[in-house]
Amino acid sequence: MERLTIKDIPLEEYTITPGSACQGCGPALAARLVFKALGNKVIRHGVPSCPDSVTATPRTFSVFESAGAALTGVSRALKILGRDDVMAVGFIGDGGTYDIGFQALSAAAERNENILWFCKNNEAYMNTGIQRSSATPLYAWTTTTQVGPRGRGKETPRKNLPFIIAAHHVPYVATASIAFPTDLIGKVLHAKKLKGFRYIDILCPCPTGWRFDPSRTIEVARLAVQTGMWALYEIIDGREFRLTYKPKKLKPVEEYLKIQGRFRHLTDREIEEIQRMVDENWERLLKLDEMGEFPL
Amino acid sequence: MIEIRFHGRGGQGAVTASRLIAEAVAKEGKYAQAIPMYGTERRGAPVTAYVRIDDRPVRRRDLVHEPDIVIVIDPILSKKPSVAAGIKSGGLLLLNYPKPPEEVEIGGDFMVSTVDATTIALETLGRPITNTAVLGAFSRVTGIAKLESLEEAILKRFPGEIGKRNVEALRRAYEEVHPPKPAKGPLRPGEEEPPHVTGYGVLKSVADWRVFRPVVDLEKCVSCRLCWIYCPETAISLVDEKPVIDYDKCKGCGICVHECPVKAIEFVREAV
Ligand SMILES: Cc1ncc(C[n+]2csc(CCOP(=O)(O)OP(=O)(O)O)c2C)c(N)n1
Ligand code: SF4
Ligand code: SF4
Ligand code: SF4
Repeated sequence: MERLTIKDIPLEEYTITPGSACQGCGPALAARLVFKALGNKVIRHGVPSCPDSVTATPRTFSVFESAGAALTGVSRALKILGRDDVMAVGFIGDGGTYDIGFQALSAAAERNENILWFCKNNEAYMNTGIQRSSATPLYAWTTTTQVGPRGRGKETPRKNLPFIIAAHHVPYVATASIAFPTDLIGKVLHAKKLKGFRYIDILCPCPTGWRFDPSRTIEVARLAVQTGMWALYEIIDGREFRLTYKPKKLKPVEEYLKIQGRFRHLTDREIEEIQRMVDENWERLLKLDEMGEFPL
Repeated sequence: MIEIRFHGRGGQGAVTASRLIAEAVAKEGKYAQAIPMYGTERRGAPVTAYVRIDDRPVRRRDLVHEPDIVIVIDPILSKKPSVAAGIKSGGLLLLNYPKPPEEVEIGGDFMVSTVDATTIALETLGRPITNTAVLGAFSRVTGIAKLESLEEAILKRFPGEIGKRNVEALRRAYEEVHPPKPAKGPLRPGEEEPPHVTGYGVLKSVADWRVFRPVVDLEKCVSCRLCWIYCPETAISLVDEKPVIDYDKCKGCGICVHECPVKAIEFVREAV
């Protein structure tokens, strides 16, 4: 990734605002930051989702299932036209990425199509009213993972999609967060220079679905990273692994969980269980980082 | 049959209020139907919900077009004459509005009643979620749902401390509501549609989404650019390294206020 400071972030905006997303919408900010870094030589592909932010770029649109195929078409058409100055970019929710669009996404990644895929990951299907996706974390409440006499929220941890995409041997996979804009934009600027299939998974807190006050969107995003609930890293060619944010000590996960309504029901035991999971994962990531290798 | 239409903004609980009324009157042996208007209701964007109440099972399934009662739980929507569109002659317009009914600008052959639900909500809940306060006013002015049945419905939905504070908001509004007066204001609803979902895409202005307005103290500002980079709506631009806020783009989310490292941005309640 490219290293920059806040003063290096371009002043130009490529989102047309105000948009129709909620107050304090994480994905709306993710769109702003990503397209700031990409500029407007972009064809942006979308599938049904929350509105995030409109961009001053041409757009294509398809059903969920075919985003990977549609982006392949865009990218190959650009190649035939000799327009290698224009990028085929997907900006797609976690429902569209982790679940419904997964088959065509995996196929496009395996063919190493010349595509940049951004997952605006708000950890559930928000546009239709907060249903769980396979990006929803363990024990999170959603309208389809209820909390009550027969439920404790989601019963399983989320799937590790960045690792799964890296296992397709693609040139670039990274995770990012809207609370770390220089890290995020540094990764986008780097990915922009590469060819082939590139995937960046951006954690975007959603005040409406995660149940917190919209003024705290950045605080929540920052705590996700500082507690290790969402680690920031990049994986190059499915081989090299590098953590891009490595605090000496992680904050307790409780600090992250306690400020969100979707985790309000957690017992001390459940918080400990999440803490153990996060600690184990962090140990594993530190080892990978130390080796510098992604084991395939 | 009594038909009610709610106007609010996503996050203030109009849909929940419609359900609470339905649950409360059902406890009193009546039949009720609560209908949320499905659309792209975003937090801050206009939202509509409906209730029907009858002594017999409610068979109608369409939206309410000529309500007996319109309840507006947002103070800025309370200034828009279109909220009164379609009210039946002799009906009631109940507004979350900080002034008495005589000072309401909307007029027609209906009654108008007001309650300062935003202040009550801020003082009881600490947040501008005005639905339960407005229900207290509704109970007092219409007598359609008893205070006790609404309390029961609220406590069932929000157990614990949150429920208690909502009941406090309900009771305070019951006491503080201004009784109905004929609506004598100069502005008529006219032909416009009542405000509801704003849909996808770019909006002209979101100034009326705000309950609070961020105001920068340029003396305190250390030009760190953080408020600028974190604003989802690009409402902040930098002029000579100092933030300038475009209030047509600002939704009042409060991110900039919360993130400024030197507390140079103050959140000031919007005047109604
Ligand atoms: C095949 C298909 N299934 C369901 C839907 C309904 N739908 C529209 S938007 C949406 C939610 C998408 O969730 P996600 O991709 O996570 O994006 P978000 O809304 O969270 O931004 C769904 C399920 C659809 N349009 N097409
Ligand atoms: S529901 Fe969440 S993701 Fe969707 S617009 Fe609102 S804040 Fe953004
Ligand atoms: S309150 Fe929110 S929308 Fe308004 S300027 Fe601050 S960050 Fe931007
Ligand atoms: S965050 Fe505060 S100090 Fe930094 S630029 Fe904005 S107002 Fe100034």
